[in-house]
Amino acid sequence: MAEERQKLLDEEGGISSSDPRNESGPVKPMSALCDPRQLLHRIFVLLFMCFLGFGSYFCYDNPAALQTQVIQISETKQCVVFGVLSALTRNWLIRTSIGHEAQHIHVHAALCLVLLAQRGALFPGGLPARQGLWNQVIVAVGALLDLFWLMEIGRFVFGIGGESLAVAQNTYAVNWFKGKELNLVFGLQLSMARLGSTVNMNIMGSVYNRVADLVGLTGHTTLGVSLMIAGATCIFSLVCALVLGYLDKRAERILNKEQGGTGEVIKLTDVKDFPFPLWLIFIICVGYYVAIFPFIGLGQVFFIEKFNFSPAEARAINSIVYIISAPASPVLGFMVDRIGKNVIWVLCAVVTTLIAHMMLAFTFWNPWIAMSLLGLSYSLLACALWPMVAFVVPEHQLGTAYGFMQSIQNLGLALISMAAGSILDNKGYLFLEVFFSACVCLALIAVVMLYFVDCLRGGDLNLSASARAKLLKCSNSDSE
Amino acid sequence: MLLTVRFSSSFIGNGNNYRRNVSLELNPGLNSLLTPLPPGVGLLHVRALGKNNTLHYLLCSQGAPALLLVHTSSISSKVEVDWPAFLMQNTTGSLKVTPESSVLYSNALVFTRLWEYDDVNDTADPEHLPPSSFFQPYELQNFTWGDLNKTLDPTGHTALLCGRDASESFSNGLLCLKFSAFDFEGRDQGWPSLLHNANSSQLRMGLDVVAPRSNRSRFSLELQAVGDSQPMSRVDMLRSIDDEYTPSIFKVSQWVSSPVNSTSPVLGYAQWKPVAYRRPSPVFEDATPCRHSTPVPVAQLPPSGLVRAYFGGEHQTTGLNMTFSITGDPFYNTTWTVLVGLGSPPVDLFSPLVLVIMVVGLGTPMLIILLGGVCACVRKNRPQTQVYEPIQAKPGYVSRL
Repeated sequence: MAEERQKLLDEEGGISSSDPRNESGPVKPMSALCDPRQLLHRIFVLLFMCFLGFGSYFCYDNPAALQTQVIQISETKQCVVFGVLSALTRNWLIRTSIGHEAQHIHVHAALCLVLLAQRGALFPGGLPARQGLWNQVIVAVGALLDLFWLMEIGRFVFGIGGESLAVAQNTYAVNWFKGKELNLVFGLQLSMARLGSTVNMNIMGSVYNRVADLVGLTGHTTLGVSLMIAGATCIFSLVCALVLGYLDKRAERILNKEQGGTGEVIKLTDVKDFPFPLWLIFIICVGYYVAIFPFIGLGQVFFIEKFNFSPAEARAINSIVYIISAPASPVLGFMVDRIGKNVIWVLCAVVTTLIAHMMLAFTFWNPWIAMSLLGLSYSLLACALWPMVAFVVPEHQLGTAYGFMQSIQNLGLALISMAAGSILDNKGYLFLEVFFSACVCLALIAVVMLYFVDCLRGGDLNLSASARAKLLKCSNSDSE
Repeated sequence: MLLTVRFSSSFIGNGNNYRRNVSLELNPGLNSLLTPLPPGVGLLHVRALGKNNTLHYLLCSQGAPALLLVHTSSISSKVEVDWPAFLMQNTTGSLKVTPESSVLYSNALVFTRLWEYDDVNDTADPEHLPPSSFFQPYELQNFTWGDLNKTLDPTGHTALLCGRDASESFSNGLLCLKFSAFDFEGRDQGWPSLLHNANSSQLRMGLDVVAPRSNRSRFSLELQAVGDSQPMSRVDMLRSIDDEYTPSIFKVSQWVSSPVNSTSPVLGYAQWKPVAYRRPSPVFEDATPCRHSTPVPVAQLPPSGLVRAYFGGEHQTTGLNMTFSITGDPFYNTTWTVLVGLGSPPVDLFSPLVLVIMVVGLGTPMLIILLGGVCACVRKNRPQTQVYEPIQAKPGYVSRL
């Protein structure tokens, strides 16, 4: 009898070993840091996840930081540079496919592609030839010929890698942190991304000047060397990616987690099965971000002309959005984690952004207020919106959903960037601000509809944190 | 090099839906056989007839080019010129607007000099430069002007006055003044797209292909104004949130003539936007700022035949300088053009498109919130359909124990 009972207990222990909170796991005890179930290990993984994004975003804004120098070398007009480089890094078709692939073991495949592409991002310009990977051949040719199109190809490759990195990162975060600290994690990831961008914006100029002093002349050589130095951060990301890959494999082994091995087939045509709330989330994403990034891109002259700022002040106020979002994102993510009710937070963020844009357009009030509001609402939206995708979409479609979301966001950004440039050239800043306000209004309409659709269908998007935890516990116990 | 300045002087107080009947006349009352005109001299008279008043515009190229504006309370007022005396340039009263008792207001704007200075430190700030940086100014009174007859457009109510100096710098160059009169409210197509109405006229100045006298030359235009009772004495700089019609320009400058008490209405003004364009068909990057100096009283009348003929004697003159471009802008070279805008005083309003977008953009979410709220309330108040029937004894049912 006792043996039977012992056997039953053992079986029970085996079955429930997939529950991360169960204490009776494998026989070998592990320190808190090495145990994939413990919070400390997850924080360890989070660290690498954040730095993975840092390098990518650091290189991402390189052409913007060195805009004048790139223009001088390529002798193309400003809007062409802005448009071409932003459009090329938005290769949405590829991104959707990568998102589709970033399921179960293909998370690792995406990471490998990222490694390759990051090597490509190391040398996006004309440089002295070096031994190395396959893309170095392209670089060598480019160095000899000093061609702008080579930079474009480099950016294209970077786009493939960088964006698949973002999708893999998102899916990864959900895999590790769903139901626990997901909002906080998204906030932190955004933080690191913005930090990378801001650091890049501020130091690339001086790096270029130092290199110019060393090399002795400006031109494509100096630009190439500066970009190579920036590319060193990609090596850092590379290392983080490798570590993350190893940790993920290890956790899989220890926890016997079968990610997506449910027998459900993953198809690209899953896209047409996306639920209506997900499409609303897409619209919110597009409508919101097109009112932030192009505005920051074109904002400096606005502050100089309308508010009589000096160029240095205008640059400072332009970057305040990112500077605020770096510390604010984790804090706001933590808050959303504790309180829940994501849809309400998204609504707050969108309304605040609308107010900020209208303040800038229709009043002469101190623009620091409006830009600070913009920074806070931008952080809040990122923390509250991206995790919602995980609540609406089944696990096996998550990568596709994130990939698609990134795709159309970037497509929207590319198109709207060019539209914003031409609106400004012809109609001025007031019209541009009204246009951005209209985009935010579109996002507002989508949020309001999302709230009511969710409310009326009895969905669970807008649950408070405690209610969601209860729901999760119920569904977990149901599945046992 | 083409430097274009648009200028307008006008009245306010008559509303924007006003319509006037505009007619152009060259050299009114001149018998060219008796008094032949010297070359390059012309007098353009534009009469803008309103319901019960008339606006007379007189553009003259004798001496420094001048635009005279006379507002009369009668619809039959006319301009009388004593041509022999007028051409002698030394008699006051050789140009009269009769009946003289009906004259309500008169104001003249004169383009007197074109200054050129060597901007050694690239500051674009001639007020703080030593006098040695300034070259000999181009006196516009010494320019030879073209024939107004050839450039008159009676249907479009425009005229073009172009002239050049005898010096080498202007060998291929021209300074042009394009005058436009308006009969109704409207807006020009080209930047700075100033809003005009029936009480305003416009002067567009162009400086074309003038050879600079140094590698770092910048230009400055001297303007003088004469008025009968109150000359234009101060410049107000107004800020506006609307830059739809002049992208990235949020200010308007108005050189006004009004009594000292600032609450009394402005009698007349010259308005411009503080921007110049480097090409005749500019794109966004061709804009360059222009600045004005504070108006100061000038001791004598400007050297314009028209002003001397009409005003003469003791009348207050004020003058200011318009400086173009800014630190860091390219210096003038032979392929560079500048456009400066001056305008009419009606206040710019948002275009209807902006208003529509804002109303639709803000109204739709409100509408949805309202509808959704109503739906949610209705749903809450709907009687709940019960899934299970209440357990109660039905007739005919006998409970069995």
